[in-house]
Amino acid sequence: MARRRRMAAPKGRDDDVRLMAALVTFGVTSMILMAVMFLAPVVKVGPSEGELAPDFSAQAYSGGEWEGFRLSDLFNKSWVPGGDGHWIIVQYIDTDCPYCWSEGEMMSQLHSQWNQEVTFVTVVVELGIQGHDSSRGEVEAFRDKTPYDGCNTNSNCADRPGNPHSWIYIDDLNSRTSGDWELPGTPFAALLQPDGIVAWNHNQPENHPTGEEMAGALQRLVGGS
Amino acid sequence: MAVLDPPLMIFIAGLAVASAIALQARSKDGEDGTRAMIDSGLVFSVVGLMSSGWTYAIHNSILDSGSTTMCASEGLVQCGSVIGDPNWNNLFGIPWGITGLLSFSLLFFLFLSMRMDMHAKWAESFELYSLLAGLAGLPFVAFLVFVELTQVKGAPHICPFCTVAHLSLIGFLATAHALRVRRKSW
Repeated sequence: MARRRRMAAPKGRDDDVRLMAALVTFGVTSMILMAVMFLAPVVKVGPSEGELAPDFSAQAYSGGEWEGFRLSDLFNKSWVPGGDGHWIIVQYIDTDCPYCWSEGEMMSQLHSQWNQEVTFVTVVVELGIQGHDSSRGEVEAFRDKTPYDGCNTNSNCADRPGNPHSWIYIDDLNSRTSGDWELPGTPFAALLQPDGIVAWNHNQPENHPTGEEMAGALQRLVGGS
Repeated sequence: MAVLDPPLMIFIAGLAVASAIALQARSKDGEDGTRAMIDSGLVFSVVGLMSSGWTYAIHNSILDSGSTTMCASEGLVQCGSVIGDPNWNNLFGIPWGITGLLSFSLLFFLFLSMRMDMHAKWAESFELYSLLAGLAGLPFVAFLVFVELTQVKGAPHICPFCTVAHLSLIGFLATAHALRVRRKSW
């Protein structure tokens, strides 16, 4: 008796090849990553000392029109320790924060003393606290010490301690940069080497001589004493 | 000029090879055609992996020295203003190159698994996953093209290595779709 046989559909392999495929994928990806590391090693970016300061671009005010500003444009990548170059202070403030209000005077003094060697950059954020609403008008008035009600929550900006500030103020009222800078609160400051590496972070006192504040850090790192 | 960069020429050649394999596969019936279509998708995903790795290297190079010799930084076709823009060169802090590497790894894994056993029970599911994963990447490609054409400093710019990665994804998606169509016609 003739028997008809149905043609069987092709069957898959008995072993599961997915593990092998995963291993091959891992190997290929690892080789590409190693080639990348060889071509251009990873640069550690962050606000901690020894890391490259997080870059940002934003609108900046220096007394005239608001203009585009990029932090890394200040970096001198060919700088070597001991060489010439402008160090950079990045200060974060909220115009309604009382500590930032009173720090205005110290910043004026530091700027008078160090403006030949250090570029000052103040980044203005708006903390999520009731009464801390800010605006570009308030930022301008805080910097320029001009009449404007609302600085330090309900003070007139013209009464801010210190002189009018002549350096650049950055609008970060929507807090785009505060995540990268791991902003713990305001005021916060970091001192950058001319090549953009963080040399001093206000929040790493364990790395500094006891009780050292920004003035001491400038004296030690920029002044060399 | 960026167009003459040897790495870029290699990536473009990879895209051309993948496209040629896909075109050949369309004219083949049965298992041979399916296998060739999978091969095409694999080549697309490898080109995507390599171009993503290259953009990550450019990213690191710009961070390290403020500029890069791995791609032009002037003119319309350039990488410096695109990959070097701190506002747009990352996704929640992760460089786009790393995002691309991880994404193309997944696509490579899915197609490699199917290539190693086309008749496995899970092969049909993997075809669907490949198609869905490719489709999931499309909004990101559209967003990145929008960014380089309108948002970065001095826009419009076209980053050639980024474009290779985008074309790799589109090519992969086309092969994943073709595979689905082939299976339905079996």
